[in-house]
Formats: sequence, C-alpha cells, structure tokens
Amino acid sequence: MQFRLEKRREPSQFMLYATPVAAVALTMIVGAIIFSLIGYDGLGAVREIFLTPLTNAYKWQDLGVKAAPLIIIGVGLSIAYRANVWNIGAEGQYIMGGLAGTGIALLTYGMTGWWVLPLMVLAGVLGGMAYAAIPALLKTRLNVNEILTSLMLTYASVQLIYYLIRAPWKDPMGMGFPQTRLFSEAARLPTIIPGTIVHLGVPIAIVVGLVAWFIMTKSVFGYRMRVVGAAPHAARYGGFSEHKTIWLALLVSGALAGLAGVLEVAGPFQRMVPGFPTNYGFTAIIVAFLGRLNPLGVIIAGIVLAITFVGGEVAQTTIGLPNAATGIFQAMMLFFLLAGDILIKYRVRRVVPQPQAGAA
Amino acid sequence: MPYRLELTGITKRFPGVLANDNVTFAVKPGEIHALLGENGAGKSTLVKMIYGIMQPDAGEIRWDGQPVTVSNPKAARRLGIGMVFQHFSLFEALTVLENIALGMDAKIPARELEARIREVMTQYGLLLDPHRTVATLSVGERQRIEIVRALLLDPKLLIMDEPTSVLTPQEVEQLFEVLRKLAAQGCSILYISHKLHEIKALCDTATILRGGKLVDTCDPRQETSRSLAEKMIGAGLRDITRAEGRSIGQAKLVVSHLSTQKAGHFDVPVDDVSFTVRTGEIFGVAGVAGNGQNALLDALSGEIRSDKDAISIDGQGLGMLDTTGRRKRGLCAVPEERNGHAAVGDFSLSDNSVLTARDRLGMVVMGLINSGAAKTYTGKVIADFAVKALGPASTAGSLSGGNLQKYIMGREILQKPSVLVVSQPTWGVDAGAAAAIHQALVDLAAAGSAIVVISQDLDELRALCDTLAVINMGRLSPARPTKEVSVEEIGLLMGGVHGATEVHDAIPA
Repeated sequence: MQFRLEKRREPSQFMLYATPVAAVALTMIVGAIIFSLIGYDGLGAVREIFLTPLTNAYKWQDLGVKAAPLIIIGVGLSIAYRANVWNIGAEGQYIMGGLAGTGIALLTYGMTGWWVLPLMVLAGVLGGMAYAAIPALLKTRLNVNEILTSLMLTYASVQLIYYLIRAPWKDPMGMGFPQTRLFSEAARLPTIIPGTIVHLGVPIAIVVGLVAWFIMTKSVFGYRMRVVGAAPHAARYGGFSEHKTIWLALLVSGALAGLAGVLEVAGPFQRMVPGFPTNYGFTAIIVAFLGRLNPLGVIIAGIVLAITFVGGEVAQTTIGLPNAATGIFQAMMLFFLLAGDILIKYRVRRVVPQPQAGAA
Repeated sequence: MPYRLELTGITKRFPGVLANDNVTFAVKPGEIHALLGENGAGKSTLVKMIYGIMQPDAGEIRWDGQPVTVSNPKAARRLGIGMVFQHFSLFEALTVLENIALGMDAKIPARELEARIREVMTQYGLLLDPHRTVATLSVGERQRIEIVRALLLDPKLLIMDEPTSVLTPQEVEQLFEVLRKLAAQGCSILYISHKLHEIKALCDTATILRGGKLVDTCDPRQETSRSLAEKMIGAGLRDITRAEGRSIGQAKLVVSHLSTQKAGHFDVPVDDVSFTVRTGEIFGVAGVAGNGQNALLDALSGEIRSDKDAISIDGQGLGMLDTTGRRKRGLCAVPEERNGHAAVGDFSLSDNSVLTARDRLGMVVMGLINSGAAKTYTGKVIADFAVKALGPASTAGSLSGGNLQKYIMGREILQKPSVLVVSQPTWGVDAGAAAAIHQALVDLAAAGSAIVVISQDLDELRALCDTLAVINMGRLSPARPTKEVSVEEIGLLMGGVHGATEVHDAIPA
C-alpha cells in the first residue's frame, strides 16, 4: 500500500483550522512518550504543562500576564509574515522598546502626572520601530536579507542593556547590582484587577489583536500585506511597491514589539534588569504561526503558549522537569504545525499499486 | 499490419470532471495523426496517459497490437514513445550537449553521445551546434534540442504538444519538414494542436475531442478549417463583428524612445521603442517569445517606470507614474501570465478585482475596502463575460485558464480604460473564449479606446489589428497597416532579418 500527496483544487478551510489543534494534540502525545522514555512522569508532565494552568484559577492571572506580550508581538509578526517579510528580531525590538521606555521613566523620575506613561509608551513604540528600521533600510537599499540582520541586531540590543544598567543608568542606591532604580509611581503600569498582577497591558493586547484583525481584513493596508505575500509580481502590477511594503511590515512589527517591551518594563518589571530579555520575541514567532498569521488566531495562540510557560514552571516544582522542557514542547508545537500545513494544499491519497509496464 | 497505438474506451475522471469519456482511436505506423480540441477538451490528459504520467480509470492501451500498462514516462520511453512538451525543460546556462545528457535515462559517454546527436541532426536536417549555450538560442532552436532528445531514443511514436505556438512561420515550415521525414521512415506522430491550417497542411488523420469525448475522426485535408472548427467547438462559429462606424481618430497613446534596463541575466529589455496608437485603433505587436515583450508590457503598465515623456496619453507624460497612477489616467494593462501576475490564485475573484479596479471604481473609502462594491463589480464581470465560476467568492486559482483570462479581460475592459495594453490575450484559451475576448477588444476600440495587443499568434493579430509592428531583440519595427504586410514579411521581421548585425552583437561569445 502506498500513499501519495495530491494537490487540492482549493486550499482546505477545514485543515487551515484543524492543523493548529492537531499540532497541540500531537505535541501532548509525543511529549508524553518522550518524557516517559527518558525517565520522567510523561503523562504528569503533559498534565502539569497543559492542564494545570487552566484548571488552577490562581494561575489565570499569570496566563494573562504572560500572554499579553506574546500576543502583541505575535500580532505584529503575523502582519509582517503575511507580506513575506521575515522579521526574526522582534526580541531586539522588544528590548529597544523597553529601553526607550526606561529612558523616559528615568528622565521623569520623581515627577507625577498622567502624561508620563503615555510618553513612555510612545517612546517604546518609536524605539522598536527605529530598531526595525535598520533591517528595512539594509534590505531596501542593499538587498541584505532581513532574517540575518534583524536576528543579529537582537544580540546587539542585549549588550546595550548590560552596558546601560552597569554604567549610566545604574541604580545609585542599588548596592552595585546591575539594574536601574525602581520607576516612580507615575511610570508604573496600573493593575486593573485589584489584588492580582493583571496589568493594563492585558486588555491592551486584546485590543491590539482586534484592531489588527480589522485592519488586515478590511483595509488597503491589510490587502497590500496579503497580496505582496501571496503573489509579489501581482502586487507590483496592482500598484503596491515592494520597498514600501518592506518598510511598512518592519515598522509595524517593530512598533508592536516595542510596545510589548515598554508595557513589560512598566508592568511586571518596573525597572530595567539583566533578565529583561525573556525570549518573548522569539516565542512570538511560534505564536504568529500557530495563530495562522491571523490576529484573532494570534490571541488564542498567545494564550496557548502562555499556558506552556506557566505550566512549565509548575512542572519544574511538582515533577522536577528541567526548564528546557518548556522550550522542547514549544518547538514540537511549531514543528508539528509546519509539517501539518502541507495538508491545507494537499491531501493524502492511497495509491493502489499498478502492475509494471508490459515492456520490461 | 497492427496499429502502432490503439486506445479503446479510455476514461479518466478527476474530482468533479470527466476528463476523458470512453475515447477510442488508433494511430497507424508512419501516420501523422492530429489530436484536435479546445483547451479543456481532454487532449493533455489523454496524452499524459499515453506517456505514462497518469493512469486511465478504464480502457485499454494497445502498443503494436499488445495490451500494455504504461506505468511511468520511463516505461513509455522504453516502449518507444517520445514526447516533446510545449514548455521546454532546459537549463539556460548549460550547453545543448549537457542538456541532452542530463535528460537521458541511460548514461552514455559524452563523446559517444555527441556523435549520436550529430548523426540524428544531419539525418533530419536539425541544424544546431551541440556546444552552444542554451541561453543564446532562439525558441525554435531550443525546441530542436527537445526533438533531438526524443529522437535519440529511436521512438516509434513521437508526441508533439502544441509545438508551433512559439515559432515563426519559417520555423514552423522547417519543423514540418522534419516531421514529414520522420513519418516517411515509419515513426508515427501524434500532433496536438488547435491551429487548423497547420493540421490541414501536415496531418493524415485528425481525431477531434470535445468535452472529453471523441467527436470525430476524419481526414483533415478533406475538411475546411471552418468545418473542423465547428466540430471542435460544437456550434457554428461566430465571426468577429467589426462595429460599423469605428473610426480611427487622433493620437492617444504616444511612446517615444522608450528603453528599459536589463533586469535579469536572460532578460531582454526594450531598446528605443517608439510608436503611436490612435483612438479606436488596435495596434498589434508581433514577435517570437522572449524578444522584449515582457519588458514592453511592464514599461507600458507602469511596473517599470521610465522618463516622464517616454509614454504619454493625450500629450500628458506619465512615464514616471506607477501602475496605480497610470490607471487613474485611464491606462489599464493585462500581462501575459495570468496566475501570480494578472491575478492572485489564492485570492477570491472579488479580492482580485480590488487589485486593479479599486481606484477607478471607488472601492476604497478612507483606506478601507468596500467589499460590497468589489463583489458587485466582480458579479458584473462574471455575468458580462460569461465567466464559468461559482461566484465572486471562488478563488482565481480554481478557474480554468480560459475562464480566468475572460475574468481578467473583463475586469480591465469594464473599467472603460481609454488605453488598454494586453499581452497574449488568448494564450491557452479555447476558441469560444478567444472569440469572446476578441469581440470585447473590438467593441472597446469601437467605443474610442486605443488598444495595444502584444501576441505571438499571427492569426490573432492579423484578424484583430489595424496596424502591426514586430518586436525583435527589444527593438520595434516601423508600424504598418495590417492589410499591407504579408505573413512572409512579418516572419522575416520576427526572425530579426531587419537588424541582422544587432542580433549577432547581442549573442555572447
């Protein structure tokens, strides 16, 4: 018995939505098997990682807080990836957004007023945008691959944090610790549910996703991104310049990564620390794909990935799973998703073997 | 003597389509047998089953009297079936010899292979230097490589799929000579085409397919082109009606000294092209593929920009505008490649309408797309141009080539452009759709638009155009009224005879 892939006449809508679900399910099954084989409680690991964060109401606030930056960055990436602009450096743009916000927080230290936070957010957005502008410039002027430049700039931005918090921005009262001082009250993101850690960034993430969905489906901007990604030649014929699209894609995804960065530093961290880069920018790549590059899907995918983060922490304490296990589960999810995507355009058909040709 | 190839009751079904329905015919040894039909009639499917690319669902194939199953092309070649495809599979950067060596099933030492290639070439008068790089060869010469490749295997049946669609009239004549020689030596030829005069000139027998079914097997020399066409289409032919009172007015589109840059390695740019198209005039650009037609279309549509005054409409220069800017000034264009250039296969027809009609028809309000307007317009295109589609929500990729082309032409024509530039408007389109597209172009001209048709199909250009010019190596010959030029003259111009020295300069050493 043989199987063959056959191109579908129209892409399957069912598979488009079924494969992300199947990818998550396969991740659970294969994850359980692998961790059992290497001597852990595999079923327990899957339960702790995927179910405990959902069943334990106390963990929900963690989910929201983890999901927010993933969703905001993932939405930006989903827009850029639609246009086939491969911004891999959202982590760097997230860091630059955080640093720009930190700069404003330190400049306005001790001041009060409603304007401090909006100013920080603006600075964060511009910081992320400016950092994404570098790959855009290199790509459009010198045709340098944006995958490489955006990725490498991430490492430069991490070094910039280390420099700033060790010298110019170091907390004068910090007993030598490499970190900035705690932001003053006006520069901290308020929590929206008293008694929890859920901050303003969580509803902002949802709004960002909804607005992006509206723009991507209804506006000429969204149309431009989709057509450039689907058929670049047709896009040029339709009057959409490729260079302008590259700029827009990188600036929008950079701006949203910067927004996530500033919300993160003003919310959970409230100061700049060496541990600020938490790989949200990289995980958001998985979020964008798992969400089918659709902003609404990204909201759901952001929550799924947040579950694995929170669950990974749970599993560390309850069954002693190493921290890297979370990464393995996340990577498996992306792997199964990309592998399953072939079923959208192709279907598997069983081939009945034919006898060989008469003339041998 | 048994038949060389005999098909009995061949049936092939695809999801939703019966591509071949109980087809029965036979090819004698040494016979040139035409397989005639519109696009979508099932010719390609039938041939793919003979060549082993697909398997029939029912029916029997007999080879020299013996029933056979052709499980793949390699098995077909072992039987003695050779095929020359419409689209060549050649590496442009390699030589003729290297290309042929790559396509051989058996590994043969280069020296021996070269000797055999030269033998085949002299035997059939296929002149070609085995050490030339393919990139420097004309389309006709490239086709000869494919023929040589097939002949090296000593085929007893040679399948030719639309072989003349890219050749000049002189090259077609040379090809026919080769095919007649082959047939005289006993090789059967299955000749797929929809060009009736060629079939009448070349073939002994014609099998006509329509909608997957066999309509008739006849002697094409006993038929008229009209009777063959009617069998092929299944209804009386509709002639293009030239609207009464179509008058050619003053200059509308003026192109002066237009040149483009060479973009890719094998790209042919246009070089100092000038011409004028008047209102109500249909201006034809003939030429063999790959002589700068793509660059000319891109430069006219706005995908490639030029000096402001290189292109003007009503005296206003618009060379510096992009496609959107030019559309707003009334210039619409249809490129040759339908899927991925003129339309996005994964998008719905409605979304494809937004691609080019959004500004002229007010589909965008404050940056937002009015999808209702796009849908209404798409529905109108589908209705007015008889596009076979489920509706505006069908994806462009799900339409057949002819239907997609009708949609694209309709999308541009219903925008009532004052200048329309089209490339290969009926390439790969069945006769019925082609007639509809031609009629639409004539009607648009009658309404006062200036039209440029770039095509490799001389019959089409001669039927449609008031004025003709020929493009060769990026240069355009002087325009002349269609009535005053003969096919031979056009053929010579297509072959580059008017500028022989330039042609030689252009070939890399």
